[in-house]
Amino acid sequence: MDQEEQDRALPIANVGRIMKQILPPSAKISKEGKQLMQECVTEFISFVTGEASDKCHKENRKTVNGDDICWALSSLGFDNYSEAIARYLHKYRIAEREEKMNHNKKYEGSATKTLNQTQLIHAPPPSLSRVTDMVENPPTTNQSG
Amino acid sequence: MRQAGAYSGLLCGGVSGRTGPHSLPLARIKKIMKKSGEDVKMISGEAPIIFSKACELFIEELTRRSWIMAIQGKRRTLHKDDLTSAVIATDIFDFLITLVSNSDSHALGPSTTTVMEVETIDYS
Repeated sequence: MDQEEQDRALPIANVGRIMKQILPPSAKISKEGKQLMQECVTEFISFVTGEASDKCHKENRKTVNGDDICWALSSLGFDNYSEAIARYLHKYRIAEREEKMNHNKKYEGSATKTLNQTQLIHAPPPSLSRVTDMVENPPTTNQSG
Repeated sequence: MRQAGAYSGLLCGGVSGRTGPHSLPLARIKKIMKKSGEDVKMISGEAPIIFSKACELFIEELTRRSWIMAIQGKRRTLHKDDLTSAVIATDIFDFLITLVSNSDSHALGPSTTTVMEVETIDYS
């Protein structure tokens, strides 16, 4: 992979790190293996984006959003990703809304912070293993937030 | 001062410097999305963030499946052939068949040359 191709793909260090995290500690990954994974992920992004973009085009919309990505994932057979991503997107939107509300409240002179807001703002993003758990063991009850 | 939200840390690849599973550069993801087609003009702020999570799930799945291939070959090192085998064995990864096949043919290049060199020994 030449430099130009490297600049178009996701960084090999990041890709390699994610691969290592789910393999046993003693496992090794060849450099060519990581490079091929880089290319595969890039192709995955292009493939799903193309599907999402087609949907937007048919619906006369200009902007590809998170819902379009979710839909495209499901449409292309990545149903298990789609469910986990839909939950992640939902939490992300709530967190963004809370952050905005918090920002507005600050400028309205209110110093009140609810415990929920503090928890949400300082809660770590879901770890990969948690998301994987959510993919493999979806919660049976609806969680609020 | 703007407080970091639970997910805004993703924008700089992790606020505290922890190398969590969310560390994929959003600008690069956006670049790849834009290059995927001429129709892709505008991308919402949340799309690359969602994609970074989707990419992690994708990498995880392909890595797991490739690892099974390596184990079957009694190896503890993941090679590109393992990824190729995993792609071929998984229906939803059919979109990668051309990519992994081309990658294999590139790998065949040097050995093909070697074979040709053997076959064109100069007897003069």
